[in-house]
Formats: sequence, C-alpha cells, structure tokens
Amino acid sequence: MSVLRAAWLVALKDLQLELRTKEILTSTGLFAVLVVTLGSLAFYTDPVSSLTVAPGVLWISILFCGILLIGRSWALERENDAVFALLLAPIPRSAIYLGKTLSALILLLAVELLLVPLCLIFFQIEPSGIAMPLLALVFLGSVGFVSTASLFSSVGIRTQARDLMLSVLVFPLVAPALLAAAVATRELFAGAATAEIVGWMRILGAFDLLFIGFGIWVSRHLLAET
Amino acid sequence: MKLDFEEVSVAGLAKSYGPTLALAGVDLRFEAGTVTAIQGANGSGKSTLLWLLAMLAHPTRGEIRYGAYGIGRANGLRARIGFVAHQLQLYPGLSGHENLVLSAKLHDIPYAEKRATDLCEALGLADYWNRTVRTYSRGQAQRVSIARALLHEPRLLLMDEPATGLDVESTASLMGLIEQERQRGAIVIIVTHEAEFAGAVADRILQMERGRIAELRT
Repeated sequence: MSVLRAAWLVALKDLQLELRTKEILTSTGLFAVLVVTLGSLAFYTDPVSSLTVAPGVLWISILFCGILLIGRSWALERENDAVFALLLAPIPRSAIYLGKTLSALILLLAVELLLVPLCLIFFQIEPSGIAMPLLALVFLGSVGFVSTASLFSSVGIRTQARDLMLSVLVFPLVAPALLAAAVATRELFAGAATAEIVGWMRILGAFDLLFIGFGIWVSRHLLAET
Repeated sequence: MKLDFEEVSVAGLAKSYGPTLALAGVDLRFEAGTVTAIQGANGSGKSTLLWLLAMLAHPTRGEIRYGAYGIGRANGLRARIGFVAHQLQLYPGLSGHENLVLSAKLHDIPYAEKRATDLCEALGLADYWNRTVRTYSRGQAQRVSIARALLHEPRLLLMDEPATGLDVESTASLMGLIEQERQRGAIVIIVTHEAEFAGAVADRILQMERGRIAELRT
C-alpha cells in the first residue's frame, strides 16, 4: 500500500472519531474564542494600535489551539494502546505521521475558520483586500506548526514526559516559522500589498517542506520501536 | 508485498530495557501448523518474546528469521502476522466493526467491509459490533481483538493471554478457533498463565524463567 493511501486511511479514522464525538473541535474552538476575546479586551486600545496587536493574538491563539488539538489527537492513540493497530499494519511508519498530521491540519483549519474572522471583528480590521493573503499565511503557518508538533507528539507514545518534550522541542523548532507568519501578518494588517509579503510566504513554504520532509524521515525511526 | 514463510526461528534472542534484561538469549523454532504455549511468572520474558516476534520492538542481540526473511522486510512480514495483545489495542470511540474495517483496509484486504462483516458473524460478534468499543465488556472487546488478528489470515498468530475475560463458552470457542488456525497452517504462539488452557490447545509448552527457556514439554 502506498504511503499516501495509508496516510489517508489514518487521517480518515481520526476525522471519523472526531465527527462522532466533536470533542477536539468543541474544546479547541471554545479555547480559541476565549483567547481572542481575552486578547482583544486586554490589548485593544484604538483601531491603529489594534493592527499591531492583532497578529500576536492571532498566532498565539493558533499556537495554543494547535498544541491542545494535537495533544488530544495523540492521546486518542494512547488510550487502550490503540496506536498499535496502526503499528501492526503493513504500512510505512511515515504514513502514520503523515496521516496524523493531515487530520490535525484539517481540524486546526476548521478551528481557524472561526478564529480568524473573530480576530478581525474584535480588532476591527477590514477584511477586504487582505482575506486571501491572510488565509494563505494562516494555512502555511499552520502546516509548519502541525507537521512539527505531530512529529514530536508521536514520540510521546514512548515517553511519560510528552508535555515537556512538546514545549522543549516543538516551540524552539517552530519559532522561526511562527515569527515569519506573525511578522507577515503584521505587515499585511499595516497595509502592505500582497506582492510585499510574497517573500514571507516563500519562507513559510520552505519551512513547511523542510518540516514535512524531516518528519517523514525521522518518523520512520521514531515509530520503529515502541 | 506480502511475504510468506513456513517457520519462524530465533537465535540468541536477547532484549534489554535499560539495565533490565527481559530476554537473555533464547533459541527457538516454530513450524507451520503448530501451537506453542508459553508460560512463566510475571517478568519472565514471555510478552517481550511476543513483542519481538510481532516486530514491535527490536532485539538487543540475536536474530529472528521468518522463513527466508529477516526483520529488515518488516512491512511485507507484518501482512502475515496477527497479534492479540494483553492491552486490546482497539479505538474505544469506534465500533468493533469499524475497528475491523480500519485494520482490513490497512492490510489492503479486498472488500474490507464485507470481510469484517463476515468475520463478525462467524465469531458471533453481531449482537454488539455496531456499538462503540467503549461500551464493551472485557470479553467482548477481547473477541473483537481476536477477530482483528485473524482478518488477514496470518501465518504467524501471536496471542497474549487470549482467554482473559472470556466466559466458559467463549473460551471453548477460542480453543476451536485456535485448532482451525493450526489446521490452516498457521504458526500459533500463545502466552498464557492458564495451565489447563495451555494443555488443551498446545502441541508444546515452554516454561520461561528470567528471560530464558527453563523447560520444554511436548
């Protein structure tokens, strides 16, 4: 079986579980609303300053929601040792990583469908003209973050110190991608044309390819022995 | 690609977890159409041996051969290995049938849904196959776990305490099933604490102590 087909089956299984319980979307969605609301109440002073504050609140929300979502997604694998159903199957180990990354990305994008408009409303940012580049930035930033966090969450199958590992390894690794995304979003909100942030998008795209490639390579070894 | 084999052999097999030696150099051979029961006290290395044979862990020393193949061909070999673990390894949020369909698809079995349905019916799981596993008793979940190990007609069937949680009728049915697997030509290896069960189903019984084979009875 090809890596992509196996990865799709793994992702479908996660989405099937989530559609049944809606546990991850509910908890992460509510958390996103809370963070953006608190952020806007705490930092909003006037429409001008909101343009510089909003990118920070947006990306901090995405970061926290992503961590919450990915942690829960891998916790489902640890329950009953269910992940061994995947590890016993004749599929490449990298397919498990790719499948988990894909399902987490789809769920995070679903949460962002709520998060991004909410952020624009609360910080009184006019969406016309920035919607498409903003969505592209959010997508590219999310891919980089999810691909890295999924990889290190998979290590959590074998270690009790999974939360520590996430914070110690994931945050420093994704910091460059998140910083690039936050700076590009700030430029966009400040009125930069799409052409001016294409360079940031390229950097984010390069990060994404690097993280996914690294994830595929490393997951073969990380998931080889449990 | 599915790889087939007629025997499994281990030579000098050892496994350490840090300073703890779980398996201390085991030499064994398992042939197609035989049932081997492994007994021993807790920590004697029984389950470790199964995990190594299921390729869920790498040996620290020694070698495992699946016919002509080594563990370097893991993906092709996994297609011929079924494993019933002590932890049932089922997704609690999915139904028994959905767990089986997922495994069937991952094993690339044609008509995965039909195969899962047929097996559920054959093993008497039809009463509860559409309920989520979370609502199952231990015995019901155990039967689904056994069904999953049989989905792809494995050559090597590994079972860790398969009779746990089963009632008398289900245990008798499990014995019948193990006999069927033997006749099909499977290599069946069962870890069990239940001497009576082991005596009833096995061609030979291995007694393990401190990571070594202490006794072999046929």
